[in-house]
Amino acid sequence: MVTTRPIPLGLSTFVLASPFSDADLGLFGKVKSFGYEQVEVCIEDPGRLTASAVAKAAAEEGLSVLVCGAFGPDRDISHEDEQRRRGGTGYLRHCVDFAAAVGSTLVSGPMYAPTGQARLLDAGARAAQWARATESLAQVAEHARAANVRLAVEPLNRFETDLVNTVEQGVRLCADVGADNVGLLLDTFHMNIEEKSLPAAITTAGPRVFHFQASENDRGTPGSGHIAWEEIVAALRGIDYAGSVVVESFLPTVQEIARAVSLWRPVADSMDALAADSVRYLRPLLQSGGQP
Amino acid sequence: MTAEGGFRYSYNSLVYAGEDLAVSVDRVARFGYDAIEIVGEPEQIDAKRVAKLTQDAGIGVSSICSIYTPERDLIHPDPDARNAAIQYVKDLVDFAATMECPTVVVHPTANMKIKALADPAQEWQWAVESIRTAGEYAAPRGVSFSLECWNRFESYFLNRLEQARRLWAETGLANGGVQGDTFHMNIEEASLADAYRDSAGVLQHVHFADSDRTAPGGAHIDFIPIVDALVEIGYDKYISFELLPALADPFSGGRHEEFFDRYTERAIRVIRAVEDLVRTRRTLGGKG
Repeated sequence: MVTTRPIPLGLSTFVLASPFSDADLGLFGKVKSFGYEQVEVCIEDPGRLTASAVAKAAAEEGLSVLVCGAFGPDRDISHEDEQRRRGGTGYLRHCVDFAAAVGSTLVSGPMYAPTGQARLLDAGARAAQWARATESLAQVAEHARAANVRLAVEPLNRFETDLVNTVEQGVRLCADVGADNVGLLLDTFHMNIEEKSLPAAITTAGPRVFHFQASENDRGTPGSGHIAWEEIVAALRGIDYAGSVVVESFLPTVQEIARAVSLWRPVADSMDALAADSVRYLRPLLQSGGQP
Repeated sequence: MTAEGGFRYSYNSLVYAGEDLAVSVDRVARFGYDAIEIVGEPEQIDAKRVAKLTQDAGIGVSSICSIYTPERDLIHPDPDARNAAIQYVKDLVDFAATMECPTVVVHPTANMKIKALADPAQEWQWAVESIRTAGEYAAPRGVSFSLECWNRFESYFLNRLEQARRLWAETGLANGGVQGDTFHMNIEEASLADAYRDSAGVLQHVHFADSDRTAPGGAHIDFIPIVDALVEIGYDKYISFELLPALADPFSGGRHEEFFDRYTERAIRVIRAVEDLVRTRRTLGGKG
């Protein structure tokens, strides 16, 4: 039996300010006024973001909080060097603690390698990196379990990573980690480049889909491009998806992962317009729609 | 050969890297292509030999797949560097003319360059001037340019066909137009069919690949409305398949077996079937 329970809608702080900091928490009022019930806080600079302040600001607006990470070269859990790997797992543990403190049951993002790292490696080097990623993820997953937090690993398109591009690879990574609190974050922007069929990929991942991000094919407002949103929501219904959908795009000021984002032209009249129009388009679909 | 008024089909030999072009030409001819697209490396490829090989096989050379590196940057702030890039494009014009190839692909800056080296308005002006200079050399030699858009990860400069149309118009050139590649368009355009439709009259060349850069039919691009748009605007030039492996730098080599016989055979078979369907529907107009 396919559920028609409303799927909650969230907005990524990448749309609001980047790097997002305590000084930007006043923007949560806007998130609420656009019509979102969740805000996904991206921890770009941990020094500028306090969990208690985030939790307080969100509570004042009646928003629930999700946490995602931004993974630059200093946060590399699959690096050859153990010291460098510790930089990555340390950051990821901080994200988990932050999530627990703000009441988020999720930490999501492409946490297996630095975003933008796309090299040619031979099969042996690739397998070794994969093994280091799974080992680090297993360690952090244990820490996360104690905090009642789940990890949602995000496959990225070929230009942003060389390790996990497809949902199939993501499912394999989760299986290799072997922890039931490790699943996937699927993002339509990346899936549009890498998946043979977006709905089929969602179905394949099934219960491993912990989290979902909505972005148009050009990173613009959902509904303004060619992504087949009704089919996607129908596929989410089909797997009885119990998570939320977060609208993500990027301001040109994004620093930690600027090379990976590569946005050279405005994809909407303004980021406020993108945030507001996304709710207008997605809400009816997520409310009860998505029947094929 | 295709029916009169139909598209002509080509396959980009870029993905055959490392193979003797005699083998490549033979494969493309064997699977029914009208032409082959040749990589723009005049120092490495003997144009006269390719002319002979294609002639003997009964096919043509559709286009030159130019390779824009940091040393071939038409909008570089250093005038000497720009001139070197212009000279590269002029060399490609001669290279193309030797093979009776009608089209040289142009992109104003280096592949994988994603950071401007000068003021955007100034770079735009250099693009107009460099392309015009090279285009004026190409015109009397019977060669046209196709100004190609690349996705955001491969270039910051021209991502959407609308941008390319604006740049092309500013060059004032009559020998050529713009080029859309469905792989890039799937990332950048709101509607692939509309982007082609809006390029009516200035569409010089077309690259087809599915959404994951494999042969059409394997992934999620619906080619029916796209081909319908091309038929609608009367496009009668080449559809060339530029298929590449899933790597951030797809030009970095390595042999990927499926791109040889398997995709070469499938690409033309699938798109010919789509072309046939679209033209049949249009002819019958619902009265069949």
